[in-house]
Amino acid sequence: MAGPAHPHSMAPPKPGRTRAAPPQMPASWWNTSRMRTYLLFDATGIIYLLVGFVAIRMIRALAEGAGAWQAAMQSLENPIYIGFHLLSLISVIFVAVRFFRLFPKAQPPSIGPLKPPPGPVIHAALYAVWIGVTVVMSLALAGVIF
Amino acid sequence: MEITRHDIVIVGGGGAGLRAAIEAAENNPTASIALVSKVYPMRSHTVSAEGGAAAVAREDDNLELHGFDTVKGSDFLGDQDAIQYFVQEAPKELALLENWGCPFSRNEDGSVATRAFGGMTTKRTWYATDKIGFHMLHALFQQSMRYKNIVRYDEFFVSKLLVDGGICRGVAALDIRTGEYEAIVGRAVILTTGGGGKIFPFTTNGTIKTGDGMALAYRAGVPLKDMEFVQYHPTGLPGTGILITEATRGEGGYLRNSKGERFLVDYDYGVGNKAELGPRDMISRAIVQEIEAGRGLSGPYGDYVHLDLTHLGADTINAKLPFVRELAKTYVGVDPVTDPIPIRPVVHYMMGGVDTDIHGATEMPGLYAAGETACVSINGANRLGSNSLTECLVFGAAAARHAMEFSQGSSNGSDAALLAQVEEEAGRVENLRGRKKGGEKISEIRRELNAVMESGYGVYRQQDTMQSGVGAVAQLRGRVADLRLEDDSKVFNTELITALELANMVEVAEALAVSAAHRKESRGAHTCRDFTTRDDENYLYHTMAYHDPAGPRLGKKDVVLGKWEPEERKY
Amino acid sequence: MSSTNTGEAIAPTQKTIIITRFDPDKDEVPRKQEYSVPCEDNWKVLDAVNFIKDELDATVSHRWSCRMAVCGSCGMMVNGEPKLTCKTSLKEYGDRVDIEPLANFPIVRDLVVELDGFMHKFEAVKPWIKRAKEKAEDKAALHDTKLTFSQSAEELGNFKQFSMCINCMLCYSACPVVANEPDFLGPAAIALGHRYNMDSRDEGNAERNEIFRGEGTVFSCSFANECSEVCPKNVDPAAAVNQAKFEAVIDWAKGLVLPSPSSGGSN
Repeated sequence: MAGPAHPHSMAPPKPGRTRAAPPQMPASWWNTSRMRTYLLFDATGIIYLLVGFVAIRMIRALAEGAGAWQAAMQSLENPIYIGFHLLSLISVIFVAVRFFRLFPKAQPPSIGPLKPPPGPVIHAALYAVWIGVTVVMSLALAGVIF
Repeated sequence: MEITRHDIVIVGGGGAGLRAAIEAAENNPTASIALVSKVYPMRSHTVSAEGGAAAVAREDDNLELHGFDTVKGSDFLGDQDAIQYFVQEAPKELALLENWGCPFSRNEDGSVATRAFGGMTTKRTWYATDKIGFHMLHALFQQSMRYKNIVRYDEFFVSKLLVDGGICRGVAALDIRTGEYEAIVGRAVILTTGGGGKIFPFTTNGTIKTGDGMALAYRAGVPLKDMEFVQYHPTGLPGTGILITEATRGEGGYLRNSKGERFLVDYDYGVGNKAELGPRDMISRAIVQEIEAGRGLSGPYGDYVHLDLTHLGADTINAKLPFVRELAKTYVGVDPVTDPIPIRPVVHYMMGGVDTDIHGATEMPGLYAAGETACVSINGANRLGSNSLTECLVFGAAAARHAMEFSQGSSNGSDAALLAQVEEEAGRVENLRGRKKGGEKISEIRRELNAVMESGYGVYRQQDTMQSGVGAVAQLRGRVADLRLEDDSKVFNTELITALELANMVEVAEALAVSAAHRKESRGAHTCRDFTTRDDENYLYHTMAYHDPAGPRLGKKDVVLGKWEPEERKY
Repeated sequence: MSSTNTGEAIAPTQKTIIITRFDPDKDEVPRKQEYSVPCEDNWKVLDAVNFIKDELDATVSHRWSCRMAVCGSCGMMVNGEPKLTCKTSLKEYGDRVDIEPLANFPIVRDLVVELDGFMHKFEAVKPWIKRAKEKAEDKAALHDTKLTFSQSAEELGNFKQFSMCINCMLCYSACPVVANEPDFLGPAAIALGHRYNMDSRDEGNAERNEIFRGEGTVFSCSFANECSEVCPKNVDPAAAVNQAKFEAVIDWAKGLVLPSPSSGGSN
């Protein structure tokens, strides 16, 4: 094993009666396909941070008036921005799919007398709501509704 | 080295040991109870029990019926006063277990469900799908954590009882982690270390079942009772010996031979219309006879027959027998929903053990025993399935009550004398550690012991192989003294522990061999081809084996009869 | 002591088994040692380790007992993944099999890890049936079979899955949070506490939820789901931990609004 884990990981409440070697993690702990998926999942946070910066930039442009706004909108047509937004769309889908898969089992068996619907129903409902909201917002942004 | 002093010391942390600890701690909040186990308690072999635990629960059942079933199951060798006490306490103990959180399976109305079991006239086996031992052990272990006055010594191996003035006053225990000895002292000791199935090659038992407590008492001069009676569970997996619970038959499974016949129905094996729900000794004999008659199947691990659950349907199997399905798929690659499971009789339980009375007391003051380690005897010559888990609870609690009472009236004994005994034992074991000047190998002696026990003391026994087995085991006992050990380290030396266990195994095996060879009749699980009938005139007694350097000395103890006179045992 | 099938016997294949060795009196740090083992076709990984101990090198120390995946003793890392070695087939692996002690635990000797850290977390969640008021005078009543608790199949189903934990600790080896946060209670301990919270016979939710919100915080769990992936008994500790998070929050909210329940019992 290569990497050390936290030196006090799973440490006994009192020191052991003999010397123990410090806890280890397997050398390639990060390299199993499941761990890679999970790390990618957590790493998408960086993308959302960057999306946040883009949003702040757009809002500031809005505050500076119509001209600044037009210029900012123009700059978004840069292929790098388009690539970035495509990447963030893929990240959102990836995160949503993983989260939707895990969400049903985190529901308590009941809240008082109320019981949650069966897992597959919750799973389907999450997708329905997500797609529904996406459609409504797209239509709103395109000016079709509201 | 210092003495750590407690009120009582319990050796072994399985069902009986934990029940004893809880009883003592609950009733005596100021007492200190030591629980010494060579493994963490949740690893104890109680965990592997599957079928259920018996106690009268239904309206159509009563104590007398349970008592009679047990007496008849024991082939009239069980002590009827102890059996009466047992069936009376059983419902109370299981109700207590349920209150402590054991997740029993339920009836429609929310009450605890019961299932049919071998040799039982009616449904009285309380069950938790098919993992009762697991759920019972974990419920007991978790309940035991409430009591701060239970002091656990996890992974300590007891190699000697400390006796001063003829009274048992504690144990010499090897701390497996450090390799150092500790003197764990109390005014009473309870042995709850389980049985010794590992002396046989094909057994449901885990590697820790090496008869340690039996050997401890035996060497200290306490007799082992009825050692010749070894239960062969009819349905174990070939090769590994992994247990496939009797509940498979309780839920309606069939046993079939190579022709697909339900041989327990088609031929007369004495089980009448109980068929697959006959007592274990009779079913095991039936299977062996089928194989000898040429109607068995052959595999790389010997001959076997089929346990057919296919007609039960996936729903029943998944609801009532999910663990069995998992075991069959993992260990023999068979899905019981579609195919029959290969099974053969394997060693499962020792009816015999440390001789105790109805309170769990041995003839040595201050020394008690309960569970499979003990022989009260409620199981006589053959145990009914699902009685032993209840036995652990009933007699674990009884032994604790009487051990605490004894300890309150007893004195501490001489610290110096006890310490000297521990130091002597520590020295003896230290010489064994990493003993490179020896000619014998642990695994070799173990293999030879297994072979002798398999050939001489199987389901069917013969006088000539039993007699030669006695000599063979005695020789092995001599050879154990010349073991060569490679590991000289102090910390967590498992080779040393294995060597100490092997020494215990040969002692237990020798007591078994001599007891079996002397019993010239067939009764319960002891079936002798040379003497095929039960002989109540000459052999209605308990066999007592006493330790002696020249080989076990035998004695007799009367069976306590009661309202049921011995009769022919037919179902 | 090998496993079995009833098919044809197949000749054994030679594999290199690599075992982590560590004796605190002799070794500064753990090292690796290789053994060449003739492996039967239907062996589990544990059979290979037992073969090494019985025939090749008696100085190897490891824990095992039941060999039927119910006692939980034999957890080890096999080629970097936490496995129950009595249940894992050796033929899933190629020529080299690397066996190490469970990750994230201090190493006592060879393949044996320190368990007292886990036992401490285990006891911290108060894993027993707590009644709000112990009816001491009803002790005799406890022994009457008619006074077992009534529990429906549905109520049993609420916690049954979480009661199947064999304490093998593979989940602790898989959990990325355990590797980094020593105070985190961990999957098995939280699942066990949650099992009791969900048991209709238990009334100790308030106390356990307080523990869950406190130092051993369940909220450290980031739902990596690794614990449930490696669990050999399908306990799904990730579900338990995340349900426990929800319950702990609801309990806290209730506590703000309602008076705290009386807890008359002693422990």
